[in-house]
Amino acid sequence: MDADTAIGGSGGQFPSTQASLLEATASGLSGDAMNQVVNLYWKPVYRFLRFKFQKNNEDAKDLTQGFFTSVLQRDFFSRFDPAKASFRTYIRMAAERYAANQHASANRQKRGGGIDFETVEDQHIAAESPEVEFEREWRRQLFSLALDDLSTYCQQSGKQLQFAIFQDYDLTDGDRPSYADLAARHRVPETSVTNHLAWARRVLRGFVTERLRGTTSDSREFHQEMRRVWK
Amino acid sequence: MEISNSVLEHLRHVAALPDLAATRYELESEIGRGGMGVVYRALDRQLDRHVALKVLDVPLAGEAQLIARLEHPSVVPIYETGVLPDGRCFYAMKLVSGARLDAYAAGQHTMSERLRVIRRIGEALAYAHSRGVIHRDLKPQNVMVGEFGEVYVMDWGVEAVAGTPAFRAPDASLDQLSDLYSLGGLLRFLVPASLSPAVAAIAAKAMSADPSGRYPTVTAFLADVDRFEQGLAVNAWSEPLWHRLQRFSSRNAVLLWLLAAYTLVKFLLFFLRKF
Amino acid sequence: MNKILVGLMFGLILGALDGATAGFYPETRPVLASILVGSSIKGMIVGLFSGWFARRVQSTKWGIVVGSSLGLLFAFIVAFLDAKQGKPHYLEIMLPGFIVGAIVGFLTQKMGSPAVVKS
Repeated sequence: MDADTAIGGSGGQFPSTQASLLEATASGLSGDAMNQVVNLYWKPVYRFLRFKFQKNNEDAKDLTQGFFTSVLQRDFFSRFDPAKASFRTYIRMAAERYAANQHASANRQKRGGGIDFETVEDQHIAAESPEVEFEREWRRQLFSLALDDLSTYCQQSGKQLQFAIFQDYDLTDGDRPSYADLAARHRVPETSVTNHLAWARRVLRGFVTERLRGTTSDSREFHQEMRRVWK
Repeated sequence: MEISNSVLEHLRHVAALPDLAATRYELESEIGRGGMGVVYRALDRQLDRHVALKVLDVPLAGEAQLIARLEHPSVVPIYETGVLPDGRCFYAMKLVSGARLDAYAAGQHTMSERLRVIRRIGEALAYAHSRGVIHRDLKPQNVMVGEFGEVYVMDWGVEAVAGTPAFRAPDASLDQLSDLYSLGGLLRFLVPASLSPAVAAIAAKAMSADPSGRYPTVTAFLADVDRFEQGLAVNAWSEPLWHRLQRFSSRNAVLLWLLAAYTLVKFLLFFLRKF
Repeated sequence: MNKILVGLMFGLILGALDGATAGFYPETRPVLASILVGSSIKGMIVGLFSGWFARRVQSTKWGIVVGSSLGLLFAFIVAFLDAKQGKPHYLEIMLPGFIVGAIVGFLTQKMGSPAVVKS
């Protein structure tokens, strides 16, 4: 069993250095809080707008950029009421409203502008609703950012082996190697493979939690969104 | 770092699983989700028996201690509590096999059997209240009826996250009377109003919007249910005369038949002697 | 109140009432008082035995069977003795006696405290 139970903190608790959105807004909305939101929501908003309004790649990117530049001001956050909806829903609806306005004025200027799917994957995804796509992309982005955090942390704390094993197993698409294979590949006992994987997953969970905390307004919303992440 | 859908789903699954390496338990399968956490079926390696392991989403360290103080046939016994390496709390409890109350209600059960279940739930509640424990989220999903007819009330002390309106009291704060409201809801759920106006009245009194209009305690509620089962008048309902007579005659049917037979015999003997 | 006392009490009351109904028959009026007393005693005896039975056996069905049998038996004895003195009234005495016995048997089962089990 790996002696390292968690990053810092006693009793295995992941220390929350991350302020919630509410706290960030109250204290004047630091650049960090804004970055957190943009990092997490850029891709989900992009994909949502792309399929909701049937934009090609470039137009969707412009729309997304326009949204984040013009709409995401301080009063956007202060107008958010956690009692009515989650921040995730709020941002999606705001993006939809923004894009609808742009779309309407653009359509007045030109005709056409049909669907331009670049990949087979895009066609498959278009069969689902844009809202479902938004939520999946949100989850994906949350985990992607957390994986970046994990990777950085492992590099900085000399846990490259743990990350390598984790990458070889949990980040592999399709058929996964057996624990025995991994043990042979990395020249460690099989029990170490189990322990390293458990450790990496635990730390990943911690990073996901932190990322989520920074983009939810209060603890009630945070717990509800946690449930959505792991459901 | 870009990840595909399949990797995303895999990560969501594995990072959610509780790391039980440092415990005596071995994870087997997920049983259900509810309240503030996920319940798994696990094997206790030391005692070689299966348990239900509940992993809480939120730190509710007080919950397990609260319930562990309850020792009652209808309260699922807690074997152990602990903290996982990722900081989540868990507790191991008896694995109950049987049907949840919503499934039980859909089955073929007599009124008497259903009232027996209500009585067991009420007894557990009354006991818990006497120990200062409030349930807070009593609903069909939190009650199990075991294969031998035993009744278990679960998920104690956890305030409803997404409350089921039919069973949640409109009270500002949750206390013994709001538990009573939920119990009334369960009674109404198990015994439809059309089956008995007296039972419907008991449920309605327990579910009075104004807490002062409800029974003062769960024990008083159970006493009224008992009265109903004995064929007596219930406090919750001022019954019409015809119903009172109907109840009297069904309670005393044998006696009334014997008296009727005596009267008939006397009558016949009196008039037949003339012939 | 224990079951024997319940049997004695109801046996007395119902026996007396049963005896009193003889008053509907004009020919019995001269001897109504003795009928009343006899019927009351008959009722008390049936009640005594029914109550004793009820202390030992908790069964409404068997309580009624025992009570009605005893009622029938003692009513027969009374009817037999009555027949010796004149016109027989077996039906008029035994049939009501049977039912009153059943009622007493039922009441001793339902009311009164049973025997306490001593260790």
